[in-house]
Amino acid sequence: MRVNINSWFASVKSACPICGRGSSQGSQSIPIPIKHPAPRQVMATLCGSCRQAIPWIAYPTCRICGRAERCEDCIRRQVRHFSISRCAVGYDKPMKDWLALYKYRGNEQLELVLAAMLAFAYERLCEAIQPDFHAITSVPLAPERLLDRGFNQAERLAIRLANWYGLSYSPMLERLRHTEKQSLKTRRSRVVDMRGNFAAVSTALFSPTIILVDDIYTTGSTLDECARVLQQANQIEAKTTVYGLLWARS
Amino acid sequence: MKVVLYVVKFEKDYEAFFSVAWEVDEVYWKNTACRMFRLSEQVPLGIAVSVCQYLKEQWTKGRSDIGGEKRTEPHSTSDGVEDLRKAVHLVCGKLGAPIPLRVEHVALGINEHSRGMEKMWSREGVRHIRGNSRHLEEVARLASVHLAGRSLLREEAVQLLSDVIPADDSASPLAALQLAALSGALQLTAAVAPKPVAPPQRGFRYWAERLRLARLRGPATSPRRSQELACRRCGSGQDKLRRTPCAACGQACAYCEACLTMGRSRECELLIIGVPLNTTSQPTQSATPTPEELTKRWGLSPAQSDAAVTALSFLNESRGNIRQESSSFLLWAVTGAGKTEMIFPLLEAVLSRGGRALVATPRRDVVLELAPRLAKAFPHYERTVLYGGSLDRWENGALTLATTHQLIRFQEAFDLVLIDELDAFPYHNDPVLHYAADKCRKKTGSTVLLSATPPQHMQRAASRRRLPCARVPVRYHRHPLPVPQRLVIPTVSELLRKSTIPAKLLKALQHSVQRGAQIFLFVPYVRQVEPFVKLLQRCAKSLSIQPETIAGTSSKDSNRTDKVSSFRDHSISLLVTTTILERGVTIPKSDVFILDAHNALFDSASLVQMAGRAGRSANDPFGFVFFGAPVWTKSQRGSVRQIRSMNSLASKHGYLKKKD
Repeated sequence: MRVNINSWFASVKSACPICGRGSSQGSQSIPIPIKHPAPRQVMATLCGSCRQAIPWIAYPTCRICGRAERCEDCIRRQVRHFSISRCAVGYDKPMKDWLALYKYRGNEQLELVLAAMLAFAYERLCEAIQPDFHAITSVPLAPERLLDRGFNQAERLAIRLANWYGLSYSPMLERLRHTEKQSLKTRRSRVVDMRGNFAAVSTALFSPTIILVDDIYTTGSTLDECARVLQQANQIEAKTTVYGLLWARS
Repeated sequence: MKVVLYVVKFEKDYEAFFSVAWEVDEVYWKNTACRMFRLSEQVPLGIAVSVCQYLKEQWTKGRSDIGGEKRTEPHSTSDGVEDLRKAVHLVCGKLGAPIPLRVEHVALGINEHSRGMEKMWSREGVRHIRGNSRHLEEVARLASVHLAGRSLLREEAVQLLSDVIPADDSASPLAALQLAALSGALQLTAAVAPKPVAPPQRGFRYWAERLRLARLRGPATSPRRSQELACRRCGSGQDKLRRTPCAACGQACAYCEACLTMGRSRECELLIIGVPLNTTSQPTQSATPTPEELTKRWGLSPAQSDAAVTALSFLNESRGNIRQESSSFLLWAVTGAGKTEMIFPLLEAVLSRGGRALVATPRRDVVLELAPRLAKAFPHYERTVLYGGSLDRWENGALTLATTHQLIRFQEAFDLVLIDELDAFPYHNDPVLHYAADKCRKKTGSTVLLSATPPQHMQRAASRRRLPCARVPVRYHRHPLPVPQRLVIPTVSELLRKSTIPAKLLKALQHSVQRGAQIFLFVPYVRQVEPFVKLLQRCAKSLSIQPETIAGTSSKDSNRTDKVSSFRDHSISLLVTTTILERGVTIPKSDVFILDAHNALFDSASLVQMAGRAGRSANDPFGFVFFGAPVWTKSQRGSVRQIRSMNSLASKHGYLKKKD
């Protein structure tokens, strides 16, 4: 067996969790737009080029859904069940790849990074409104899909976020129907299909303000439907306000 | 996934099994078993595998003790139920899972099925199986045929079955797999499972282990069992495994990060290995064809045929006996020696014997290039071409051509494994691919490694005769390799800063242009390619070539293939590039300039490869190679030495053409 004594004294090289390359010195100069130290630390493990590639939505143009561009959906929509939502990044090609790496390929090393990016959206949400949240929950997966994938990405992100910011996470929803993949459908059928997909889990933990976490916002139909179900389940008390917190906005 | 864990009692002894399709097992053991009991709740696959392994060890030990030395202490309690409970308890405790398995629950749920209780079995399920049993047996037989020599995850196996077996919804694939496994044609296991430890064969560890066994009595004498998990598919150990909570088994279960690109292998994921547990190797009998005849047939040069003869005799002598270390053979052929032609006789030797052969190469474009040549050479054999996104994914051809990544889906499938360019990315320095290449060879098979620049440790092993080796020191046109010349010039970054090209370099370039050669110009970094192209275009006039015919390409270039093909058809006469083109591209009349040859990115292997781009064709065998660097380094010296030694070896053997 060969022993490389030099390696004992070399500095520990940490590979970038996304591209796997060693982090270069250049990455230090790129600012991380997050205040909380824990997610900041996570983001610091990324290499310069990966960090550069993140299309942060620092200034949302749409005050409602948090999109960086003008948003027709929010103008057109008559009834809205969620209050507002904020998204961390725009859903461009590299972000699509990152999410696929995590969600479909199952590289759970990315979970921390995505959660740290979601922390950015959380901080933007806190800037937009009075932060007096009590509870955080996530959009559920259908049981079959959950068995297939092994994890619910929204739940994982929400739990990480809850740990960092001292929120209390609890599952409040369940998915009743196993729908086709959202990404394969048109806008109209998405809205129609969503109806009756979710049900509230009976729980006493309901609180007046709830943050709902999901990975992508495309038309907002999932978010809206979930918010509707949550509000309905909580009719007895004062009205529930649901805020959306999403990792990407397409 | 979760499985049913059960124990079958035969005449005397017990055996523990797990099942992915319980209804099959239920019927299967009906007539042979004396007694049978299961855990009423399904358990995660990882745990079931560990429990079965543990119980097997316990029970076999108990048996051998009673039969052999007659130890006083009874190892195995007579009651199998108690043993099962204990084992599950032990394994769950050892895993330290954050969501512990409720053992009392398990203990409560043990249902005993004795022969008399047969009536209480769910009649419907049994009848359903019975009705389709003939059909299911047929599907299981087909599954075992098609899965032979494979190691597939559940999803892949199900895909394979749905592809090869006529669409029929009545037989569930899992049931077919389970039946095949019960009849011993397949092995089902967890994709990430405890690594079976082989007792150390030599050295300090061996003696320590022997002393330990000699001194101790009692349970400590049992061989040490490793608790270390490993990926059964790619062989990665604990450091590549990551434990995450898993919804499919409700536990923190480990998955393998190293082979994630080929589908996720995890502790609760089923791995189907198409190798029966006890393989009986049938003695292969065939007249050994005389090597000389074979090589004549393929029109090889003397150097090539000499090497092929050596390799063939290695194959012939090695056939049929199982060896651990010396089953690989190094074919060390210089760049442009015609390696592909040399492998044909080897492949034919194996194929004509009825064996299966594999040609693996790290890169996909080489696979695509080689496929038609192999098809032409072996039109009568079934061929399979495998790469990411290829169509014949599940075929079992006699001759398989694959990228090295595809090998992790095989296990003990091939009699001959040929690995081309073993020092190329990504195969080089990737333990996963090395493990895969090792795993896919049959125990009686052999490996032939091909390279122009084998890594240091192999060169050493070859020179010390630890690794059988044949060298081809000359190119097919029988002219010596061009020896690199030295150009002392400043570094590339300095040239770019000053934006000048030193007179020495310019003169050499001019000379190449005048003799009508195309020029490869290598620089170490991708970011230097574009600026250097600009710089050269400014000097195009003094080189007397058109500025448009100077181009650059790199790994980040999206139209690299276009540029390479236009370099091939002479519309580009000077190509600035990085190590990405160090192998594979053959230009008949070309000269090579390597700038910053002292850079650490260029090791001596890649310098030899880049130098090997020059003088490839018989029409222009004397290309020029220049190392442009401010200093002379060890790797430059090493590469020149390697080229010189090959040339002198060639002249010693008389392979070189006589000068007219």
